[in-house]
Amino acid sequence: MSKYLKDLCELNGASGNEKAVREHIKKIIESKVDTIIEDPIGNLIAIKKCGKTDAKKLLLMAHTDEVGLMVTSIESDGRLAVQPVGGVDPRVLLGKRVVVGEKSLNGVIGYKAIHLQKEDFSTPPKWNSIRVEIGCNTKEEAEKQVELGDYVHFYSPFEEYENRYVGKAFDDRAGCAVLMEIIEKVTPQNFDLYFAFVVQEEIGLRGSGAVLKHVRPNALLVFEGTTAGDNPELKEERWSTHLDNGPALSYLQSGYVINELLFNSVRKTAETNQIPYQMKGRTVGGTDATRAARTYFGVPGAVINVPSRYIHSPVSVISKSDFSYVVELATKVVCSDDYINAVEGWK
Amino acid sequence: MKELIKKIAEISAPSGRELPVLKVILAELENYIDGYRFDSVGNLIVWKKGYAENPKKLLLDGHADEIGVVITNIDEKGFLRIDPVGGVNPLMLLGTTIRFNGTIGIVSMEGETAKELTDNYSKPSFDNLFVDIGVNSKAEALSKVHIGMFGTYNAGYCEFEDKIVSKSLDDRIACAIIIQVFKEIRQPENDLYGVFSVQEEVGLVGASVAAFDIKPDMAVAIDVTAYSDTPKTFKRMDINLGNGPAIKVKDKASISDEKVVNALIDAAKSEGIPYQMEVLIFGGTNAAGYQMTGAGIKSGTLSIPCRYVHSPHEMVSYSDVQNAVKLLKKLALSNKY
Repeated sequence: MSKYLKDLCELNGASGNEKAVREHIKKIIESKVDTIIEDPIGNLIAIKKCGKTDAKKLLLMAHTDEVGLMVTSIESDGRLAVQPVGGVDPRVLLGKRVVVGEKSLNGVIGYKAIHLQKEDFSTPPKWNSIRVEIGCNTKEEAEKQVELGDYVHFYSPFEEYENRYVGKAFDDRAGCAVLMEIIEKVTPQNFDLYFAFVVQEEIGLRGSGAVLKHVRPNALLVFEGTTAGDNPELKEERWSTHLDNGPALSYLQSGYVINELLFNSVRKTAETNQIPYQMKGRTVGGTDATRAARTYFGVPGAVINVPSRYIHSPVSVISKSDFSYVVELATKVVCSDDYINAVEGWK
Repeated sequence: MKELIKKIAEISAPSGRELPVLKVILAELENYIDGYRFDSVGNLIVWKKGYAENPKKLLLDGHADEIGVVITNIDEKGFLRIDPVGGVNPLMLLGTTIRFNGTIGIVSMEGETAKELTDNYSKPSFDNLFVDIGVNSKAEALSKVHIGMFGTYNAGYCEFEDKIVSKSLDDRIACAIIIQVFKEIRQPENDLYGVFSVQEEVGLVGASVAAFDIKPDMAVAIDVTAYSDTPKTFKRMDINLGNGPAIKVKDKASISDEKVVNALIDAAKSEGIPYQMEVLIFGGTNAAGYQMTGAGIKSGTLSIPCRYVHSPHEMVSYSDVQNAVKLLKKLALSNKY
């Protein structure tokens, strides 16, 4: 059982609104690290030093934000119009509960009854037909409780059964939980370990750029909750990952071919330690590793993923064993010099 | 120079897997450079020091990568599924072969009925094509290839009249041009840097960071560009093979710095080198990466007009290539940047 995952996933933190997640993480880790920094845009950076001078730096990264919605208009009937923050499929919202604003008002998102639908039954709803219902009948009434720009988050209590965790925001609180496990378990020997919990990944890899310039690491390792896509509507050959098949390694993501030397180092570590792993079968999707390679002098990185079914929805599902194996693999990678030394391979 | 072009164009080195071509480029440049390094993302950076007391710095960029494909799945019978690496039109894969190191694959299309097959052929997509490497089982396939293995078009170099045709002239033609410039310049007044950059085709990765430490006074990306001299082609452009290298004013990713444009025009005019002006209504080059590096670098692009870009058979005019070498050599020896 992951001791961090439940609390992390139940906190609300759509992109730009990561404060609650950041403060929660900070409270837990600050006594376990040498230094902790909150940067001006909300990234949290924790450092565990090895004690050697001029030590190399390995940066581990996960993003604190999740996808959500934002209130764009309060309608005359007291309902709220919204726009997505990050990639949200309007179809996953229908018939779901949400919470609105800092006071976490209860809300629901519905759709016109099936009795009244014709062609629209087979077409996805448009954003301009999505409304959040908070129990108000007039604009004036709603305005007392909600402001434009208020965030709307999925309401999704964390659950576990069999080999599954179910909830929201595994992308990327699963990554945050992995970093917290490593902070607890690992004492660096030959290089300094930096841990970055970054903001605003979901809306365009915005937070990580600042961290890279601040830390100037020799290498980066990103932890992500990634698409499973192992659904019946996709043939198996086109799945991205499959639950219970272990940590998923990326070799190509949108805009970046994962550094070959670092990728090989992670794979070798998995094989040497007999940790099951799978290769991600699809090459789309953004990652902060892309931003890193294109920022500053260029920081090489690799990505280890926790496969997540129904990602970016309030009912995401991950595998307990996949998560544990990601922690195990990450720990092995971080405890060896192989990964950080691998980047020297070009020279 | 044709030998050189053939040599580096025929190497299989897609984005993120550029090392094989970079090694050959480096060997080719031995004795013609003062130093080199591989940076943290894998760019090969070479230089010649200028004799001036406070030399300026000119950077020439050519991307070493080419478009390609990557294996995403291997089924029980040993058939492969692939995704594109960079801008690959699946139509270009049908009827050609792909090379995964020494293993050759044929691309074909799924279809359980004649209608489905026809439909798939009319709308080829990476969801409905597969690669056949001639094996009979997954185990046999795994002895030759693996998921995450990169491949490229299996097409070679040839010469048609005054044209050169090969896979990956985008952008090995630029690599060859830069090598040739370094070979022909003995000792420049100012510092000359050559960057053979990585991962341009997936997102200008190498060029976004290569110049961070160099801080050049000017960066010129050399890349291929489109054409308007074939039947029923782009109406709103005027670029022709054989009319000289094209001095880019603008494309979708960057506007060339005016000083760079003027320096290139001056270099061409002073030597009587033919050139054409280019305004590309789409596309982008590494100039966009250099422009936004550090505090900003004056950047522009010298283009080689190229037909059938991103196909297995890209075509350029050899005279444009030779003129590009002359023009860049003149620029490097001038003081106008």
